Amino acid sequence: MKKILLLSLIALGTLTVKANSFGSTRALTMAADTGDTPLTISGSVDAYYKYDFAKSSQIGTSFATDHNSFSIGMVDIALKKTTGKTSFVGEVSFGPRGQSQSLPDQATGTVLDPSGAPIGTAASSFHIQNLYVNYAATDELTFTMGYMGTFIGYEVISPAANFNYSTSYMFTNGPFQNAGFKATYAFSPKVSLMAGVFNDGWNYYKSGGRIDNFGAQLFVSPVEGWNAYLNVLTGNSAGTEFDLTTSYQITEAFKLGLNAADFTLPKHMGTGGFSGVALYPQVAVSSAVTLGLRGEYFKSKASDIAGNAGYSAIAPGTSVSALTATANIKSGNLTIIPEFRLDGGSAKSWEYVGGLPTAKKASQALLAVVYSF
Amino acid sequence: MQKAAPKGRLLFYIYIMKKVILAAICIVLKITTASAQADSLVVDENNKFVYYQVVDQPASSTDSLQTRAIHFAKKAFAASKLKFKDSDKGTIRATGGVLVAKKSSVAMHEDARIDYTMTIEVKDNKYRYWFTDFVIVPYARDRYANFVPVSGKNVALENGMSGLSKRDFDGYTAKLMANVKDIGNRLKTYMKTPVAPVKKEVKKTAIPATNW
Repeated sequence: MKKILLLSLIALGTLTVKANSFGSTRALTMAADTGDTPLTISGSVDAYYKYDFAKSSQIGTSFATDHNSFSIGMVDIALKKTTGKTSFVGEVSFGPRGQSQSLPDQATGTVLDPSGAPIGTAASSFHIQNLYVNYAATDELTFTMGYMGTFIGYEVISPAANFNYSTSYMFTNGPFQNAGFKATYAFSPKVSLMAGVFNDGWNYYKSGGRIDNFGAQLFVSPVEGWNAYLNVLTGNSAGTEFDLTTSYQITEAFKLGLNAADFTLPKHMGTGGFSGVALYPQVAVSSAVTLGLRGEYFKSKASDIAGNAGYSAIAPGTSVSALTATANIKSGNLTIIPEFRLDGGSAKSWEYVGGLPTAKKASQALLAVVYSF
Repeated sequence: MQKAAPKGRLLFYIYIMKKVILAAICIVLKITTASAQADSLVVDENNKFVYYQVVDQPASSTDSLQTRAIHFAKKAFAASKLKFKDSDKGTIRATGGVLVAKKSSVAMHEDARIDYTMTIEVKDNKYRYWFTDFVIVPYARDRYANFVPVSGKNVALENGMSGLSKRDFDGYTAKLMANVKDIGNRLKTYMKTPVAPVKKEVKKTAIPATNW
């Protein structure tokens, strides 16, 4: 009897300990969590079908370049890790969008056939979209060095971070990447300032011999949901661009974005440049579907440079207005993007016949799919 | 006749044992059930999610518990996880957040952050704490391949199912629960540990041998 009672008490004690095992006292440690994160992988893949109503590709903005073709964009993979105060990002991309359409070719040389006769020029890409290291000196001050996606502009290279699949003229003709060193100081969660020095050329992995680009960005968030960036990138080699990028989530369903930019060539190259402004209203009609418009006005500045072709076939002294209607239909990690675009120029800019443009309008429709992970 | 007495005694013992075992099972179930009810999110009178715990700590004054709780809120975690906000007599408040990822995400990069407030109240020999005001802040990829908060898209956790699959919502809340329980466990440790007094540095003045 005593043994049975004793066994019962032991069993009761065991079960009780198990029931209370959650919440048992942990080993004493006064060390705060370090904020380290595991290595993370993110990225996207995209593909599209586009039809240009002129029956050949006309609109000279970035990506979605193939007419009447099921074509690929890119496979994009980004690695990131944070350890204490330091972190790195390494992003590579493969495919038309992720190579020749957004990255500089690096290695060049003559390609030879088996007999040794030259048959062309080789080009290869490092495939690198972002490669940089961060050091958070304090909670407010961070230093970054490497090859980075540019801080200029509203639109970006990654299809996962754009609402529209085709791009604006301001995006196509602005910088894509800048290699350099920058410091960012966060005065508060609502205000921060970045300043940095960058290689002389845009979109190159190495400089042409100079570090003569200066860039700065002022970020303000006046109210919750409203972000604004005032940007400048100026250098003797590449010219000067001022840029305003802002977006405001006005209601739960309605968001309005604005991008305005002005670029001027460096003086030693002559006169020329571009300016533009674009509005991006978007309405979420459901949790899965958002409808948006992009209305852009883009002007190629008058130029004294002989043979200056302008920007994206928009000749110096002429302008274009582009209206793009886009939907984002989300299903899990997949976004389906139907889009229609109509561009109208102040001068004939499209449908070249005999080397001369014959049309003042261009239009295209496309269907893209973007899978983000 | 002698055989009947042991048999009757045996039957009595068996009867008693049944009662004891049954009582033991009931006690264990009650403890387990009580623990399960307290160890999950519940809905308060304002229809907000709250995680609430009461802890007895005998032989602890209000003042000592207050000091330890403030020390905990200021020192226990990185500010992103828990940051001291303010305190008054008997009450300590802090804010924090936890990064969460969707189950469908390939490599578990952050998809959102769930922010929360933590309140600790102390009195003689006991204290209580609760987490509430849970808000989901969605993250999105930026041009530098970082995932950053999307401004203006915050959603109260109570409405979290409106934009997430059940699988992802359950994943978010599971991570949130693990996080608040971790904070609670660390709090219990700090509350049992006296805070070392800050040593005042005595300013030393050297008496010069010459030039006086």
